[in-house]
Amino acid sequence: MSSPDPIEAIKAEFEDRIVSWEEKSPKRYYITMPREDITKVADFIFAKQGARFIIASGVDTPEAIEILYHFAFDKLNKILTVKVPVPKERCEIESIAPIIDGANWIEREIAELLGVNFLNHPNPKRLLLAEDWPEGKYPLRQEPRRNR
Amino acid sequence: MGKLWALKKSIWVFHLCTGSCNNCDIEILDCLTPKFDLERFGILLVGSIRHADVILVTGAVTRKCLPRMKLIWEQMPQPKLVVAIGSCALSSGIFSPGYNIVGPVDKHIPVHAYVPGCPPKPEAIIDGVVKLVGSLE
Repeated sequence: MSSPDPIEAIKAEFEDRIVSWEEKSPKRYYITMPREDITKVADFIFAKQGARFIIASGVDTPEAIEILYHFAFDKLNKILTVKVPVPKERCEIESIAPIIDGANWIEREIAELLGVNFLNHPNPKRLLLAEDWPEGKYPLRQEPRRNR
Repeated sequence: MGKLWALKKSIWVFHLCTGSCNNCDIEILDCLTPKFDLERFGILLVGSIRHADVILVTGAVTRKCLPRMKLIWEQMPQPKLVVAIGSCALSSGIFSPGYNIVGPVDKHIPVHAYVPGCPPKPEAIIDGVVKLVGSLE
């Protein structure tokens, strides 16, 4: 029985919405998507293709805050990363915690350290920072540097 | 027998980690397990601060842990001794510019012995405890 390659299936499904597709090595794929599609993409990759959600990372870049969702296809020995840039002015993105339980805590962490608002998150409470840390101060946001 | 003979002969220690990378905690564990075996001298790790004579503090003090560290120190019965283990406890180590670090241990509670190292070897920790006990004479 030959099952279709999940990575090709993802590429085919979202062909018109993918901003960029990079294959850094035979085991490592990066796709950049606009932020409106994140719930559809997460549902497709997680539920339909059976990938395992590893973790999410947040990066503060001069243009936008990038959130990277890492998924693993263990049987094929491949890792796929979905990169979603979020502008800093309206810093919101749909939460994938209703679909993927494992994303619950990491989204709380990104929310309090980088200041991204996850819409419809089931439990948007503070996770790591101290109780008396002031609201609105996001420790992992970078100051604008001169020689960037 | 002087007043402090129980303290000198069989020290009961309590271990508190205020937010470290846990290497110092592993080295303290090495001291108490059969390779370096401080337990043969009667030095016992206790589960409650109210039973302890000496508290071993590791880790750069994080903002979240500071009120808890002070509460634990206040709950400790006299005579109490504090040993700060590792460079993070002495001076915040490499984490001193961090956003969450509120200074070394002796900024908040009085410390009686300092054991530098990152992490200090079990020999160094034992040396520190021996010197502390010797200074009680």
